Amino acid sequence: MTAVSMNRISLLGTSPRNAVMLAGAMIVMVALPYFLGQSWLSITTEMLILALAASALNIMLGYTGLVSFGPAGLYAVGAYTTGVLMEKLGWGMLPATLAAPVMAGLVGALVGWFCVRRSAVYFALLTLAFSQVIWTVVFQWYSVTGGDDGLVSVPIPDFFFEITNCYYFMLAVVSVCLFVIWKIVNSPFGMTLQAIRENPNRVEFIGVNVKHYQLASFIISSMFLGIAGSMFCVFSGSVFPDYAYWAKSADMLVICLLGGIYNFFGPLVGTVVYTMLTKIISEYTMHWHLILGGIIVVIILAMRKGVVGTLSAYWADRKSAAA
Amino acid sequence: MTNTLKAFGIMLATAALVAVMGLAPTTVLAEKPPIKIGFIHTMSGPISMYGITSAAGAKIAVEEINAAGGVMGRKLQLIVRDDKISPEAGLREAKDLVLKEKVDFLAGTISSGVALAISGYARRAKKIYMINIAQSTRITEEKFNKYTFRFTTNATPYFGKGPALALAKTYKAKKIISLGYDYEMGKNSLKEFKATYLKMVPDAKIIDELWVPLGSTDFTAHIAKMANSGADCFYLAGIYGGGELAFTKQAWSFGLYDKMKAVQPCAGDVETWGKVKQGDPYPKNALATCRYPFWAIKGDQNANFVKQIREMTGLWPSYGSMDAYVIMYAIKDAVTKAGTTETQKVIKALETLKMDTFVGPVEMRAYDHQAMMPTWYGIMRFTPDLPFPHITDVGKLGAESYHTVEQIKKVRGK
Amino acid sequence: MVWFLIAAGLSIIFGTLKVLNLAHGSLYMLGSFCCYQVTVSLAGVPGNFWLAVLVAPLVVALVGGIIEIFLLRPIYKAEMIYQYILTFALVLIIAEACKMIWGTGYHSVAVPWPFKGSVGMFGLSFPIYNLFLIAMGPVVFIGLRTLINKTDLGRNIRAVTENREMANALGTNVPRVYTGVFMLGAWLAGLAGSLWPPVSVVMLGSDMAVVIDCFIIVVIGGLGSLAGAFVGALILGLTTAFGLYLIPKLAVAFGFILMIIILIIRPYGLMGEPE
Repeated sequence: MTAVSMNRISLLGTSPRNAVMLAGAMIVMVALPYFLGQSWLSITTEMLILALAASALNIMLGYTGLVSFGPAGLYAVGAYTTGVLMEKLGWGMLPATLAAPVMAGLVGALVGWFCVRRSAVYFALLTLAFSQVIWTVVFQWYSVTGGDDGLVSVPIPDFFFEITNCYYFMLAVVSVCLFVIWKIVNSPFGMTLQAIRENPNRVEFIGVNVKHYQLASFIISSMFLGIAGSMFCVFSGSVFPDYAYWAKSADMLVICLLGGIYNFFGPLVGTVVYTMLTKIISEYTMHWHLILGGIIVVIILAMRKGVVGTLSAYWADRKSAAA
Repeated sequence: MTNTLKAFGIMLATAALVAVMGLAPTTVLAEKPPIKIGFIHTMSGPISMYGITSAAGAKIAVEEINAAGGVMGRKLQLIVRDDKISPEAGLREAKDLVLKEKVDFLAGTISSGVALAISGYARRAKKIYMINIAQSTRITEEKFNKYTFRFTTNATPYFGKGPALALAKTYKAKKIISLGYDYEMGKNSLKEFKATYLKMVPDAKIIDELWVPLGSTDFTAHIAKMANSGADCFYLAGIYGGGELAFTKQAWSFGLYDKMKAVQPCAGDVETWGKVKQGDPYPKNALATCRYPFWAIKGDQNANFVKQIREMTGLWPSYGSMDAYVIMYAIKDAVTKAGTTETQKVIKALETLKMDTFVGPVEMRAYDHQAMMPTWYGIMRFTPDLPFPHITDVGKLGAESYHTVEQIKKVRGK
Repeated sequence: MVWFLIAAGLSIIFGTLKVLNLAHGSLYMLGSFCCYQVTVSLAGVPGNFWLAVLVAPLVVALVGGIIEIFLLRPIYKAEMIYQYILTFALVLIIAEACKMIWGTGYHSVAVPWPFKGSVGMFGLSFPIYNLFLIAMGPVVFIGLRTLINKTDLGRNIRAVTENREMANALGTNVPRVYTGVFMLGAWLAGLAGSLWPPVSVVMLGSDMAVVIDCFIIVVIGGLGSLAGAFVGALILGLTTAFGLYLIPKLAVAFGFILMIIILIIRPYGLMGEPE
C-alpha cells in the first residue's frame, strides 16, 4: 500500500486546537445564513446532503477498501422510502425519515450479503448491477414510485420550504450523522475495518471474520446513504429515478476521489470542490462535460491523493523542511 | 493529527469562499425594472438541439416585444439556464432563478421529469411556470397545480388521440398491429389510440400488441413478426427520436412500408428527420402527427420566424421554438391584461387568455391550464420544397384531440 | 453480434491490462461517428462505406493508443478506483468532443452495396445486411482466436496476461503489448461502431447504453475470456428476445438479473477461470 493510505486519522479531541478548529467551523456554518444569499444557501444545503452521502460511501471506499459502484441505489432507497411513505401512505415526516435508514439498511444487508462474497472487480460489478436493478424497479413500478416522472408532490411541511429553516435542519442532521460516522470509524471496529483494507489476509489469520466486518461496513454505509437520500427528499420535496442511476454513483465516487478517500474530510471538501466546479464551469460553457472530464483526468494523473491528501502532504513536507 | 487541522483550515477557507461568492452584488436596478423570465432548458447533452432552438424562439419574441416598447413600459429580460436533462439540476436552477435573480416567470424544458420538478417548485414558490415542450399529461392532470401552464400539445393529441382521429380521417385501417416502448407513455398512447379509434371505426381491430424495452434500438425481431402478421397497418406507441429512426431504417429494409400502412406519431418532427435525405430510408407514406409544420403554415410572420431561427442556430425551427415564442407573447398579453406582474392576477389573466399567433388562434383552457395548441397531421413524403421528408396533405386538429374536462376530472378524482 | 465485437474488446483489455474500460462504449460511438464522417466526405465514391469500415476503426485504435500511452500507463499501479474514474472522465470527454464535432441530432448511414435488399427465409424476409452482421460475429471470433493462439503478438499477449513480471523478465516489451492490446480492443469497438450504423442511427448517448450491455456480456461469459464474450453475447441476445415474450415488464432488468445469478453460482463467468 502507498504511504498515504497508512495515514491514521486522529481521534477527535486529542488536541485542544482541533476542538477550537471544530468549534470555529461550526460557528461559520451556523452564521452562514447571515452572509449568504438564499440561492447560495440552498446550494450549500445540497452540498451538506451530498457530503453526507459521500462520507457514507467513504466508509466502504476509504475505510474498508471496498470499491462500490452502486451507492446511488441505496441513496435512492432512502429517498423513495421517505417519498412513498409520505406521498402515498400519508405518513408524517418524522416516521417517514426514520424509516429511510432502516429500509436502506435492510436492502443494504441483502445486497451486501451477495456482494462481500466476491472480491475486487466482481464486488464492483455486483454493486453496479444491484443498483441498476433498483433503478429498473423504481422506473417500472409506476403505481408506487411514479415511474420516470418520479414523486413530485411529497407533502413536506412548509416549514422546510423556508430555505434558512431547511439549512439549519440539514446542518443539524448532517453534523450528527458525521459525528456518528467519525465515532464509528475511529472505534476499535473502525480500526479493524482499516486493517482489513490494508491486509485482509492478515486480519483473517488473527481470527477476525473479514466477511462479517465487510458486511457490517456495507450495512452502516447503506444506512447513512439512506439518510442522505431521505434528506434530499425533504429538501427538494421530490424524488426521481435519476437518484438510483449509475451516473449518480459516479458523481459520489468522483467526489470522494476529488477530496481524497483516505481522509475523513476528503468527501466533504470533495463535495464543495465538485459542486463549485460543475456550477462555475456550466455557467461559462455548454461544453462543461469536456472541462470536468479534463479536470478529473488531471487530478488522477497529478494529485491522486485528492485535494485534502495532496495539501496535507504538501504541508507535512514544508513542516519537515522547516524543522 | 495535523491532517485534521489542515482539513478544518480548508473547510473554513471554502466556507469563506462560498460566502464571498454569495455576497457578489446583484443587478443594479434601472428606473423601470425589467420583467425577468427564467428560461430553463436542456442546453447541453445529446438532445440540446431542442433547448437551443427553444431559447432562440423565446429570444426572437423578447426582442420583438422590447423593440415595440416592452410591456407597460418595462422590458422583458430572458435568463437562460441549462437543466442538463436532470430534475435535480432543473430544480436547482429554478431555485437560483427565483431566489437570486428574482425572476417573475419560469418557462421551458423538454423532459417531463424536469418539468414536474420545476412545476412542484413553482407551486411552493408561487411563481408561474410555462412549459414549452414537456408532453406528459400528468403535468396538467394528476399533478396539476394552478401555477403551471402548458403552451404545447401534450401526449394525448400527439401520440394517442390525435393519430387515431387522423387515421379515421385518412387511411381508416382495419387490422392494426402496434409496437411500443414498454413504459408509461407507450402504454398510455396505445390505450388512448385504441379507445378513440375503435369507437370511430367499429369494425377495426388491434390484432397484436408488441413491446420493446425503453431505449432499445434493435427492432428486427419485432419487425419480422409485424411483417408476417397479416395486419394492414402498424402503429408506433411512444417510439420517438433515435429509436424511431432506427426502427424506420430496419422497417424499410424489411419492406414494411410497402406491405402495410403506417401510423408514426412524431415522424413529423424536424429534429428527428431533418438530416434524412432523399434516397435514405424514411417512413414512406406514414401518417404522422407534427407540432409545427413550418412549411405548411402561411404568412410572412411564420416565414420570418423560420428565417431568423435558421440564422441564429443553423437548425430547423423546432416546435419548441414556436411554443417558446408564443409563451413570451402570452406573458406580454397576460401582464398587460392584469396590469401587473403579481402572480395571482396574472394567473387569472392567463386562464382566460385568447391569442392570435402565426400558427392560428390559441386559447387557454382554464380547467387544466392547457393551451389548446393545434396538432397537425399528414402523410410523410419528399417534396421538392424541402431536403428532408415531411408531412404533406396537412390537416389540423384542435381542442377535440385533447382529453375533455370530464375525462380529466375522472383522472383527478381517483 | 455487433455487441460481441465490443464485448470482446472490453474483455481482452480487461484480461491483459486488468482495466475495466468504462469508455469502451464511447470508443464505439466515436467509431460510428467516424464511419458517418467518411461516408459523407466520400459521398458518391463507390464503396465509400467499406472505406469507412477500413478507416474508422483505425482512427479509433489510434485514439485508443493515445489514451493508453498518455493516460492509463501512469496509473496501472494505482488502485482500481482511479482507473475506473479515469475512464469515466474519458466517457465525458469523448461524448462532448463528438458533440462539438458532429453536433446534436441523428445521422444516418445507408445500407451499403452489395447488401441492399432482403432475402426470404422460412417464409420470413431478412435484410441481407443483417445476415452479413450475424456472420461477422463468428468470423471475427475465429480471427481473434487465430491471432492470439497462432501469432507472435498473440503469444506475447498470453505471456503478459499469464504473468507480467515473468514475461517482462523474459524479454517481452510489456508496455508495448499493453498498448497493442488496448489498440486492438479499441479497434474492435471502432469496427462495431462502423458496422452498426447502416442498421441503426448514429447519435449521441449510444455510448452508455452499449457499455452497460457489454459489461453484462463479459460478466456472464467471464472477464478476460474471448470465448466467454462470444457465449455471453449469444446468451444475452437470446434471453432478452425470449424474456420479452415471457415477462416484458422486467425485460429491461433481464440482463442484470442474469448477471447476478451467474455471479452467484459461477462468479468467474461461464467461460472464465476461477480467480
